[in-house]
Amino acid sequence: MSMNGGTSAIGRPVPLVDGIEKVTGKALYTADLDSRGTLSGRILRASVSHARILSIDTSRASALPGVCAVITGQDCDKTYGVIPIAMNEYPMARDKIRYLGEPIAAVAAIDADTAAHALELIDVEIEELAACYTAAQSRAPDAPLLHADKPGNLEREVHHTFGSVSDGFAEADLVREEVFDCAEINHAQMEPHAALAEYEPIRERLTLHSVSQVPFYVHLTLASCLDMDTSRIRVVKPFVGGGFGARTETLNFEIIVALLARKVGGKVMMQLTREETFLTHRGRPKTRVKLKIGLTKTGKITAAECEAVMSGGAYAGYGIVTILYAGALLHGLYDIPNIKYDGYRVYTNHPPCGAMRGHGTVDVRHSFEALLDRMSRELGLDPFTLRRANLLKAPMFTANGLMINSYGLDECLNKVEAASEWTHRKDNLPDGRGLGMACSHYVSGAAKPVHWTGEPHAVVSMKLDFDGSVTVLTGASDIGQGSTTIVALAAAEIINIDLGRVRVVTNDSVITPKDNGSYSSRVTFMVGNAAIEAAKALQAKLVDAAAELLDALPEEIECEAETYFVKGSAQSELSFHDVAIKALAKEGTITVKGTFSTPIEAQGGKHRGGAVGSTMGFSYAAQVVEVSVDETTGQIDIEQVWAALDCGYAINPLAVEGQIEGSVWMGMGQGLCEETNYINGLPTHASLTDYCVPTMAESPPIDVQIVESIDPLGPFGAKEAGEGALSGFPPALVNAVADAVGLDVNFLPLIPDRILEALTKYRRAQRRKETVK
Amino acid sequence: MTEVLPKFELLTPTTLIDVVAALSKNPDATICAGGTDLVVQLRMGLAETKTLVDISNIAELKQITKTSVGLRIGAGVTLADLEANADVASDYPAIVKAAEVVAGPTHRAVATLGGNLCLDTRCLYYNQSHWWRKSNGFCLKYKGDICHVAPKGNRCRAAYSGDLAPALLVLDAEIEILGENGTRRIPLAEFYHEDGAQHLKLEAGEIVVAAHIPPIQSISDYGKIRVRDSIDFPLAGVAVSCRKTEPGEACFSVAATGTNSMPVLVTTEERLTNNVDSDAFFEALGKLVQKVVSPQRTSSIAPHYRRLSAAATVIRLAKGLL
Repeated sequence: MSMNGGTSAIGRPVPLVDGIEKVTGKALYTADLDSRGTLSGRILRASVSHARILSIDTSRASALPGVCAVITGQDCDKTYGVIPIAMNEYPMARDKIRYLGEPIAAVAAIDADTAAHALELIDVEIEELAACYTAAQSRAPDAPLLHADKPGNLEREVHHTFGSVSDGFAEADLVREEVFDCAEINHAQMEPHAALAEYEPIRERLTLHSVSQVPFYVHLTLASCLDMDTSRIRVVKPFVGGGFGARTETLNFEIIVALLARKVGGKVMMQLTREETFLTHRGRPKTRVKLKIGLTKTGKITAAECEAVMSGGAYAGYGIVTILYAGALLHGLYDIPNIKYDGYRVYTNHPPCGAMRGHGTVDVRHSFEALLDRMSRELGLDPFTLRRANLLKAPMFTANGLMINSYGLDECLNKVEAASEWTHRKDNLPDGRGLGMACSHYVSGAAKPVHWTGEPHAVVSMKLDFDGSVTVLTGASDIGQGSTTIVALAAAEIINIDLGRVRVVTNDSVITPKDNGSYSSRVTFMVGNAAIEAAKALQAKLVDAAAELLDALPEEIECEAETYFVKGSAQSELSFHDVAIKALAKEGTITVKGTFSTPIEAQGGKHRGGAVGSTMGFSYAAQVVEVSVDETTGQIDIEQVWAALDCGYAINPLAVEGQIEGSVWMGMGQGLCEETNYINGLPTHASLTDYCVPTMAESPPIDVQIVESIDPLGPFGAKEAGEGALSGFPPALVNAVADAVGLDVNFLPLIPDRILEALTKYRRAQRRKETVK
Repeated sequence: MTEVLPKFELLTPTTLIDVVAALSKNPDATICAGGTDLVVQLRMGLAETKTLVDISNIAELKQITKTSVGLRIGAGVTLADLEANADVASDYPAIVKAAEVVAGPTHRAVATLGGNLCLDTRCLYYNQSHWWRKSNGFCLKYKGDICHVAPKGNRCRAAYSGDLAPALLVLDAEIEILGENGTRRIPLAEFYHEDGAQHLKLEAGEIVVAAHIPPIQSISDYGKIRVRDSIDFPLAGVAVSCRKTEPGEACFSVAATGTNSMPVLVTTEERLTNNVDSDAFFEALGKLVQKVVSPQRTSSIAPHYRRLSAAATVIRLAKGLL
């Protein structure tokens, strides 16, 4: 791509710099990697939900010709988990099985056939225990405990109060309370799980290639579980086919494949089936939200009281963070002076839940926006009017200590209201057709990271050498969201060079600086800022060199389109190449570094758990959904969606649009048809035929508008763009259905059989009311 | 085994005679055309066979011929070709409507009429991996003793799930079968058996070679009920044909799939006439459909929903054909 004089690299639609590899099939994903000399690894999974393991006899499996190693829980006595204070999971179950599908042993064999056959030869003796499949069962007084140190099967209770909700409700003209049930869902990312481990027995070194969003955490976990020094481990992330939170923590198979590789002293590839990928799970937990809101008759929110109970599965994982996020982001969207939140993260004998796009906040936001809509109807207020009565004013801190420096929600509201022609269409739609709206927001990275070491939150290096190319080195995990492109654009923009001169090297622990990972939408904000700082450092050296060559002062040097010149003097022009050579002459290969750290005031409130929800800035979104409902079959068609997102600044509008569409679309899946389903612990959803992710046939046209509030601290003013719009879709859908057929539903997803059932009951009740009249 | 494709020998006969010979020589062989269901079954450990007989290149199976005695569709005609055929579209729209909603476009490019007519029955306890089914103690249809859907019963309740069968049933189709002893032709309605574990009346060594449909006497339509608008098998699928007998008179033929272990014809002597209140007629038709279909808990969607939506769709289609 060549550049015109005076135009930026940023702020214009740019195809992702690794797009060519992906669409031509050249991109190598973990399962594509070199399979020469590689053994096939396979996991034996528990066939019961809850049991004591009495014995495991692997002798018959070991004796099978072609089997090179068999391991069990006895091969690793270290627990692991993404939250340092909540590590209660073993890579393979040791004394107890806690969910059907839990790894209990693994084999490495010469081929997949042999490995699968070997699993059948492992003899496991168990003593089955009663299982808890719902939060109610788990919290019953005589419930069997999944973890001996977790009474009541509670991983965490959260109780946060800000202001006085009783005062707030007393002030209100209308108080309403409802209960919402949101089903558990899974990320269903396109790429099934895979990991390739190689252990060199002579050097005693381990290399892991994996699908991770968090190679740094995986690195630390491998060191711990394998009892190895971190310096002898290398973690590499190849192309990844989607994360969405499925891979924001070390996953059991990543440790298992490393253990196998060490045992055989060689290379083991583990490719999980789609069923196993579903069993590995880490999806959004099933959540029951009890919500009470108080409004004045002009729509001002006076108080909100929320209780969330999450059925989190068998291990701790991200559980504490998830239940904290649910309450934290009750704040930060609207001006609410009194908020009370009680959260309960409960253990159940199901695959462990984890982080999923919108982490913890989605089901609560869904309930909030749906209840607001019903209350606005009761008050005779337009939903947009109600939102406008509750806007925040930046800069400010929320009651729970969250920092807001930019707030574009009002512009988002204006844009979707206009684009959908809400005002004159809303009450003029034909029968069975309706419009609904909702707002949402999300953090641009957790301001306090999971592993708090005192280091900067992000480090990016850049290298300039004799060939005149600029290499950006980053540990930021591109999982398809375009983080690699962001750092390339930062370099191109600051150094005023062609994007073609920039290469990005990512995610090899031997080469690239550590990055905490791709989660909570931190990468653009934090890594973007670090990249800008690195690029400025490199540019400074180039400007100094140009100044010397042009016999001028550095502050007199201007740079545009790979050309350096003295301000106001057209004759003295130098090419990038000449300047680079001069800069290199001084010190040889130039390497620079940029960092980013969050200031203390961004790191959240002082209360327990106050760091969760803390962020450098929130994205804001407003959304309108139009539906048509077939009352005879309960089928809902999404006709159109209008979405506007405030992302601060769109460094790459093409990528931002894609992220907004993707968020809306993923919210649509949760709203319309996605849910996991277990029968006595057996998953009946564990294939892409049975787990209903919407297809292109259901996908509506999505009108996307970008709002730029220009965050003062964001890279080029940018905030996150990948999660903010998601949690607005499900409530906008539910509100649209209410508009279309008058039916309010308190469950997700809106699958046809439940809609038909609810509609039938509703029509019957309506008819009864009519006859009574 | 599970998701690893098991080892098998692939035979590639070029004529029908060779197919029959191959089947008789290899009694445990399975026929493979598009393989869009078979290959999945092989990976899940649901089909155990050492020999696949590839019939995707048998020219005799790929013809669609229209004559004065009706239409003959070869069993090897792909669903994509069926969708695109002008004669089928104009004369027997239900067939095209059914073909175009099977799975997705890449399936339809290779899936065949014969394969869809002979589609294996489906159930959420059956269409799972080997590990899953073993954890659940297998089931009556395969390797086990109990039907988990109806544990007190004595037969498999897996649901027949092919979309083409009901469309052909309302068009009075016959099916042509070739075996060692030659060809036989029977009404399609007699090809199926209400048993999820043994739903096809196909003898060992036999292969379906064609469907025959008599000349058009009706207009027809097909509607499919499922959660998504693509990929999913039918929760219920209904075909309706409408024959206008005299001015103001019409009689309807209805068939359903997805609700029983075989595709079912809903037979009624009632006609819509000028003397009959049409709303009452269609309501009665809907109730009859509800009575005849028998959806079970073979999917995670409530059986009663499948019953209700089948009836609602029949009424909608029937009214639309008038």
